[in-house]
Amino acid sequence: MLKLVEFIKKVYLPLLFVVLEIVAIHYYAHSNSYAEARLLATSNSLVGGVYGSISGVGEYFGLRKRNRVLLEEMAELQNELTRYRETAVYDELDSLGAEIETQYSYMTARVVRNTVSRQHNFLTLNKGLRDGVVTDMAVITPDGAMVGYVVSCSERYAVAISILNTAFNASGKLAGDGHSGSIYWEGFDSHRVKMHELSKYAPVEVGDTIVSTGYSHFFPEDITIGYVERMEVDEPTSSFKLELRLAADMTRLHDVLLIKNIDIYELNALEAEADSLFRY
Amino acid sequence: MMRQIIEYALLFLVLVLLQVFLFSNLELSVYLNPLVYIAFIILLPIEAAPVVVLGLGLLTGMVMDVAMGAAGLNTLATLPVAFLRGPLLRLTCSKDSVSDGGVPSVHRLGVLGFVRYVVAAVVLHSLVYFTMECATFDYFHLTLLRTLVSGVVTVAVIYFTSKIFNSQVARVL
Repeated sequence: MLKLVEFIKKVYLPLLFVVLEIVAIHYYAHSNSYAEARLLATSNSLVGGVYGSISGVGEYFGLRKRNRVLLEEMAELQNELTRYRETAVYDELDSLGAEIETQYSYMTARVVRNTVSRQHNFLTLNKGLRDGVVTDMAVITPDGAMVGYVVSCSERYAVAISILNTAFNASGKLAGDGHSGSIYWEGFDSHRVKMHELSKYAPVEVGDTIVSTGYSHFFPEDITIGYVERMEVDEPTSSFKLELRLAADMTRLHDVLLIKNIDIYELNALEAEADSLFRY
Repeated sequence: MMRQIIEYALLFLVLVLLQVFLFSNLELSVYLNPLVYIAFIILLPIEAAPVVVLGLGLLTGMVMDVAMGAAGLNTLATLPVAFLRGPLLRLTCSKDSVSDGGVPSVHRLGVLGFVRYVVAAVVLHSLVYFTMECATFDYFHLTLLRTLVSGVVTVAVIYFTSKIFNSQVARVL
């Protein structure tokens, strides 16, 4: 009996360590981006205000440049608006009474926290449930480059998975062409992502633009992802492996646009139904 | 005793705030991600009971996990440091200085001994953290580079933290 007590005394500490370590590894291995984002959303409700003021200070120094960018954008939008106004008049004459329906609605938000130095990077945005932000909304820069999508919301804040997250998944295609492939981040370069499974018959060249496909319900079609910087043919799969320079400067995000796909629930429900019909 | 607990509680608070609002907010590069909060485990009194160190390691890891939104990653990297702290101290420093106890510092362990001890602990912590964060050995050379760059900054920060902490201790006593 005494020996047993001695024995336990000797091994309880390593045993305790091993048990705790296994629990921690198990918890880490079974967590996913959604669990991590939920955790972040929780801590944001406590310290989100502090992040807001820190990013506010940093923002002050970039005001001049942002002002210029905004003006340029305004001019561009004005141009577009005049074009639409003209066509709208003709359309109205054509289809009196038909209601205009759009699939996407837009909203702006400010990035109060953005990490780029980890493998699983997230953005915290200053709008949450009370502003109408819901999960699965796309996040893009004001000039229309892909940033991420919302994975978790609290009352006042939202957490979005960044394109710089090894768990991020999106499909991309060659602009103006149907060939598509999948986009992923390797975890080290915050200005570049990889694209693979692009058919080797795709007419791709260095400098070409890669845009979103619209197959996923997060992103509308033709959101810019990046520009082809390097390409090689992967013989075993007979497809291209591309290296893309991201269109969005992820290290310098301030304001972003949120895009809500109004049809997402309908689409998801419809697909789930179709899926259940063919489950044997 | 009571005073020491308050001092360590303050150190803990300062390190957590520094980590969350400064070092985790720098976002300069993927390679520069100093995990300075490990200083809390490194600077615990040498004579602290191993089970207490392990418990505090668990607490530190969990607090950082919640604050940084990394489910379990900080905990699983901090626990090995807390568990192996005693052996690390005995390996890197002379027997006499370790058996005297007290707060680990340049003064007690000698510059060489103290730096060796801090480097060993930081490398262990960062290597486990970055390897597990990556969850693959495919880019192990890049993980090593991350450990090296972040580790150098972390060691420097901990070196100065210990100087400030010890002068503070000296003044209060």
